[in-house]
Amino acid sequence: MTALRRLDSRLVFFVLIAAFVLVIVVYPLVQVLLRSLLVDGNWSLRNYESVFGRPRNYFALWNSVWVSLAATALATVIGTLAAFVVQRTDVPFKTVLRFVLILPFAIPPLFAAMGWVQLAGPVGLLTQAWKSLTGAATAPWTIYGAGGIIFVLGITKYPFVFITVAGALQRMDASLEEAARTAGAGTGRIMRDITLPLVRPAILGGALLAFVSCIDNFGIPAVLGLRVQFQVLTTRIYEALTIPDLPLATAMSMLLVVLAGVAVWLLGKFEGRSGEHAIIGGKSIRPHIIKLRAARPWVALALFALTILIVVLPVFALLVTAIQPYYGAPLNLETITTRNFEAVLNSSAAQRGIRNSLTLAPIAATILVIVTALLAYLNVKAKVRGAKLLDGIGMMPFALPGSVIGVGMILAWSNPPIGPTLYGTLWILLVAYLMRYMAYGLRSCRASLMQIHDSLEEAASTSGASRLRTMRDITLPLMRPGMIAAWVLIFMSAYHELTVSALIWSARNETVGVWIFVMQDSGFPGRASALAIAILPIILVMFMITQWLSADRSAI
Amino acid sequence: MGVTIQVEGLTKRFGSMTAVDAIDFAMEEHEFFSLVGPSGCGKTTTLRCVAGLETADEGRISIKGTTVYASAEQVDVPTHERAIGMVFQNYAVWPHMSVFHNVAYPLKLKRASRGDQERRVGHVLQMLGMELLGERKPSQLSGGQQQRVALGRALVGEPDVLLLDEPLSNLDAKLREHMRVELKRIQRDTGIPILYVTHDQLEALAMSDRIAVMSDGRIHQVASPVEIYERPATKFVLDFIGSVNYLPGEVQSATGDTVTLRVAGGATLTLPRPGFVPEAREVLLAVRPEDMVLGQSVTGSDLQAKVELRSFLGNLCEYRLSYQGHELRVQTEKDELVPEGSDVVVGVRRGYLLESTASQDPLARVS
Repeated sequence: MTALRRLDSRLVFFVLIAAFVLVIVVYPLVQVLLRSLLVDGNWSLRNYESVFGRPRNYFALWNSVWVSLAATALATVIGTLAAFVVQRTDVPFKTVLRFVLILPFAIPPLFAAMGWVQLAGPVGLLTQAWKSLTGAATAPWTIYGAGGIIFVLGITKYPFVFITVAGALQRMDASLEEAARTAGAGTGRIMRDITLPLVRPAILGGALLAFVSCIDNFGIPAVLGLRVQFQVLTTRIYEALTIPDLPLATAMSMLLVVLAGVAVWLLGKFEGRSGEHAIIGGKSIRPHIIKLRAARPWVALALFALTILIVVLPVFALLVTAIQPYYGAPLNLETITTRNFEAVLNSSAAQRGIRNSLTLAPIAATILVIVTALLAYLNVKAKVRGAKLLDGIGMMPFALPGSVIGVGMILAWSNPPIGPTLYGTLWILLVAYLMRYMAYGLRSCRASLMQIHDSLEEAASTSGASRLRTMRDITLPLMRPGMIAAWVLIFMSAYHELTVSALIWSARNETVGVWIFVMQDSGFPGRASALAIAILPIILVMFMITQWLSADRSAI
Repeated sequence: MGVTIQVEGLTKRFGSMTAVDAIDFAMEEHEFFSLVGPSGCGKTTTLRCVAGLETADEGRISIKGTTVYASAEQVDVPTHERAIGMVFQNYAVWPHMSVFHNVAYPLKLKRASRGDQERRVGHVLQMLGMELLGERKPSQLSGGQQQRVALGRALVGEPDVLLLDEPLSNLDAKLREHMRVELKRIQRDTGIPILYVTHDQLEALAMSDRIAVMSDGRIHQVASPVEIYERPATKFVLDFIGSVNYLPGEVQSATGDTVTLRVAGGATLTLPRPGFVPEAREVLLAVRPEDMVLGQSVTGSDLQAKVELRSFLGNLCEYRLSYQGHELRVQTEKDELVPEGSDVVVGVRRGYLLESTASQDPLARVS
């Protein structure tokens, strides 16, 4: 009798969550797939033919691939080197370095792209400095086009590689290296024969994450590519939707899905293989640390210089642009003005954008944390059949490029068979964020639940606590840090979201990310920068909280 | 004398694997009862069925006369309504609660008053020597202290029975020995019956009133430690509890008090007659290492062997001897050290007999 009732409440939750996942994730995805194959109600490959029939379109596909690969290569080199130096040498200020090296995650890619235009663009700060130093008429570089996109993508996406490689190096059993040392291998030899092969899966895994994030990105190629007609898939989809050519955008979305799918499939293979190496030992033995000797301060300086270049300079450029009377004005104290801030903060669109983002982000974060915590519980603890599958489906948007989610939202909610037409309202953005960030919640909640050993709950039950009581007194309090981390991460990401929002926003339903992009795109870099600078503090604070929470949790 | 736990025909399957195969046992009041066996023998599953953490497939379990599980009547009392206390192998001390709140939790669930909680938790902590650590968080405690918190939490509600699942296996050797004595003392002082699961035969021998030796989901023997050691019922029990040397041989004659064997290698041994003599002439003689003496003749029961290896164990000395191609393990007092490589006479004082055809059968009866 009690067993029956117990089963029922779980079943009710399961059905509700299954419905949520179906509506939020599966329905839009099916729409994209089906509509890409439908022309006037008939099965056809014509949409795909139009992609490959016009150079503009297949060049965009090709550009997405090679630009992302090149940026990934750059990110992998930076990330791997930085991880080795921080984990395996006696470089000073390690704790600070570890933090600043992942700061690029905190800077929205759009901001980084804007910052780099203002640094290295035709009238950028570095360009002007170069001209006045050398007397040359132009700088020997251009930030617009493939080179600039690769550069900015690479230096904003390397933390993916840095985090995975540093993690693998930290978990690596030091005795594996010591065994090689006792066998007579020197430091260089050990790195080549033992360490590098052991962390190779981590390097490849981090690189694939960076690759998926590169092909997903819209802000950077939009700011650095559109002006010189250098198109990638995400910007081409954006253009196709402004025409609007929905079938074309849909077919191109499917190509993005294929690209991301291949990367994720490879990722799964590498992650599976990394299990072969038992590099994760329970004991924390200090691995061998390479002494840098005389190079010690210089290596530290180089890493700090790198992060200043990557994080501080672009933000500084944004700030300079924001307080200048016009873009490219000579730098001096007399011309400092708050005009841009006043103009943008007094505009009703920007105010609406801030208000909308500050409404959508916490709602999305709250809904997702509740739903994903329940789903993770059904999957990990209650082991309800089918919950694992739901979890897998919920994780899919993690690999889905934002443009695909955007196109899916338009198809799904423009004229749905049942339910309201969300397209043209603020709520389509909410539904889009729910889809895009579901994986963030699932990952965090699943991880924190798996850390809770079954015996902790069983001990409550043998102490006389009912299932509900156990959840309240034991499971929920122990899950809380993971849930808070997920909430902050979702809030932060949704707050400055651009890739999806740029495709589905409508007049009066702006978000702050969209409005910064619109300002930048329509020739008001000063106002765009002012708005970016205005919202950056809240993003940085959120980022610090996520870092603090994850450090706190690993300490337990 | 009442019965604390009565288990009848308990069967638990995981898929096609039968973890517990129709076992029966009954625990007396105030008894320290151990389930012992190698990993995978079903002892932990049995304990978890008693706790209600696993639902058995068949059989009946009652605690203090109350049926908590019966497949026939479809009775299955949920864990939290069974009057038990349990200590887990990894302690399962809740990291987000202080020592006091961990121990007080069962009382809190029973809605005991604040004063009552403080009094009873204080009493338990004092008994465990933890009275000064009530405000600590588990992360500030050593493994042994966490173990005590878990024990205190299981004891505080005065359950009908205490279930212990390998509670000492994560402690280091010295602490384990200490906790062994302490557990025994607590059990004597509180009179609470304990159902104890361990893979460590020494632990079981040292602490239990009675032991059930399990393997492959079945109970081989339920008896007192002395009886388990002295009169193992099956070959498995003989092998698992203590160590043993085997020599093939055949029965020459048997009288009322002795049995005479001719063992491989040609020696003739006359030993005290065991409980029974197998009918088959071909037998297997099993001798415990401490039932042999080195360098001393035992009338009519000598072997000529050579010392291959000597290991000094502190209080004892262990030898590996070779006798006609058979390896023999012998333990002696340390004051009679015999050098390696020397030829010695080995006196056999007593042994067990098995039918040699049954040498691979763990269920084979031992005399």
